[in-house]
Amino acid sequence: MIHTSHLVKQFGSFKAVDEINLEIGRGEIFGFLGANGAGKTTTIRMLCGLLKPSSGEIRIDNLDIIKHSEQIKHKLGYMSQKFSLYPDLKAIENLQFYAGIYRVSFEPALKRLEPILEQFGLSSILKTLTQDLPMGYKQRLSLVAALMHDPPLVFLDEPTSGVDPQARREFWQVINDLAQSGKTIIVSTHFMDEAEYCHRVIIMQDGREVALGNPAELKQEYGSANMQELFLKVLGVSDAKL
Amino acid sequence: MSSAGVITSFIKKEFRQIMRSREMLIVLFALPAVQLLVMGFAVTNEVKNLRLGILDYDRSASSRDLISSFSSGDRFQVVPVSESDNAAELISAWKAQLVLVIPPDFGADYQMGRQSSLQLVLDGIDGNSAAVANSYAAGVIADFYQRQSKTRLHRAPLPRLSPGVQLISQMSFNPDLKSSLNTIPGIIAILVTVTSMMLSAISLVKEKELGTLEQLMVTPVKRYQLMAGKLIPYLIITLVQLQVAILLAGLIFGLELAGSYFTLILFSVVYLFTSLGLGILISSRVNSQQQAMFFSWFIMVVMILLSGFFVPIRNMPQSIQWISFINPLSHYMTVLREIVVKGSSLAQLSRELWILSASGLLVFGFSVLSFRKRV
Ligand SMILES: Nc1ncnc2c1ncn2[C@@H]1O[C@H](COP(=O)(O)OP(=O)(O)OP(=O)(O)O)[C@@H](O)[C@H]1O
Ligand SMILES: [Mg+2]
Repeated sequence: MIHTSHLVKQFGSFKAVDEINLEIGRGEIFGFLGANGAGKTTTIRMLCGLLKPSSGEIRIDNLDIIKHSEQIKHKLGYMSQKFSLYPDLKAIENLQFYAGIYRVSFEPALKRLEPILEQFGLSSILKTLTQDLPMGYKQRLSLVAALMHDPPLVFLDEPTSGVDPQARREFWQVINDLAQSGKTIIVSTHFMDEAEYCHRVIIMQDGREVALGNPAELKQEYGSANMQELFLKVLGVSDAKL
Repeated sequence: MSSAGVITSFIKKEFRQIMRSREMLIVLFALPAVQLLVMGFAVTNEVKNLRLGILDYDRSASSRDLISSFSSGDRFQVVPVSESDNAAELISAWKAQLVLVIPPDFGADYQMGRQSSLQLVLDGIDGNSAAVANSYAAGVIADFYQRQSKTRLHRAPLPRLSPGVQLISQMSFNPDLKSSLNTIPGIIAILVTVTSMMLSAISLVKEKELGTLEQLMVTPVKRYQLMAGKLIPYLIITLVQLQVAILLAGLIFGLELAGSYFTLILFSVVYLFTSLGLGILISSRVNSQQQAMFFSWFIMVVMILLSGFFVPIRNMPQSIQWISFINPLSHYMTVLREIVVKGSSLAQLSRELWILSASGLLVFGFSVLSFRKRV
């Protein structure tokens, strides 16, 4: 689904992303882990065509991201790290707008997403102004908005920051279901417990890959009891600030 | 769904946001009212109680007659002057705004039917008022000669006015030189420019600030769809505001449209491509709403100063006149005045139509190109 080779992003003389090679398959939940400034967002922004790589190649569904950007845009949904729906529109109006932008009919799309809306408890707040929603609901709404056009590939940049553990578990339940239904999910997070939900993770530091693999296998390889311990070990720090 | 569907989604969304924001209602209704009231009454070049100093070196019956025709009515207020004063000093000491110098042989020449030279000295510090004062004075003198020639039953030629004194042409369309007729179209032109430029600049920058623009950039939406979706609503809003302003101008100042409403709207739409384009151009260069406001105001002020609104363009230095020529606002203002006051037709304004179309094409095209899709 996603293939990158020697992916580099340079801001001036500063390398925010350095030689990242990825091979991500269909239906996979792929996690980006790393401390602040590790380069997670920068990588994701390149993968969904928002940033032009300084060098290296990105192919999505075997299509070059630069040459076939228009075609690729229909295939991906993106939920940015910063909440970015229109605060002065009602929840449902935001969904309507994105359906319109992606040229899909709204009613069928809403019907298809009904189970998720129910699971998220969003059905009852669709008529509320987005700015009046609590953070947890805003984030769930963002995810639904990113799914309006039923994209096979979904990017979620720290979708659960600032949300309570219960809501996070529910969120991951939905992510899991989406992957089950064949969607590829790229997610970044600061929460190590969430890494356990991923099929594979990449741990980044200063733009470089320091570990890549299945969480269970990585833990075994490094002899760590949990992801937190593993994370600290691969970064070579005793007290990493996450 | 088609490309039109995408644009419709944008338009729907913009209008929902507009209808929900109180600021927008203020822009639509309060702004025209306040601008018209404040600027309409404050920036007036309808001149009353002009302080007129008269240096009468003749002191004949004829000169006293002339003086009394100046003092009747409320246009001139004759200020006392002494024998030793001179015109330039009276004006620089702010004692008089204009000085009429009656030469020693005025009465005698007049009785003999000979030509004599009256001198009119004007304070040119405010070009518009000076031009108006000049034409008032010329009018009074012309009246005086006509009246006298009728009663005395012999014709006296009109005295020549000093060089540089000209009658201004608006007189034939606005004989009372009613200031509102001249300023109101100017105010409306400014209003339309401010609104459209600010709205488009701010609305796009706001999406940058909110992060919604980035969200749009991952969608397959095309640059032209985004532009059209943003600009059509603001075009409509500005036209509604223009309508409100014209209605208010009618209610407050009794302004009546001499020309065709269709021509007015046509020119406004053409002009809006320039002003909305400027807004986009600003928004693509800045990152916050404050910066957008600042640059819009800056450009506005320059455009207004060079538009002939405060100082007539022909009173400006030649080089500045050239800059004014490329100022689209000055052309739009001219067009509004022509349509509102003179009732000029589309055919008579074809030169302006070409200029404004070219400007719209240029500015708008450039702004669309410079609006980068990748943020
Ligand atoms: N447009 C830019 N110009 C210059 N430097 C940038 C730019 N965007 C990001 N950076 C820098 O690149 C580095 C990586 O940033 P990035 O946002 O990818 O990190 P992150 O892993 O997502 O961090 P966080 O967990 O805080 O979201 C940071 O040091 C950041 O300051
Ligand atoms: Mg980030």
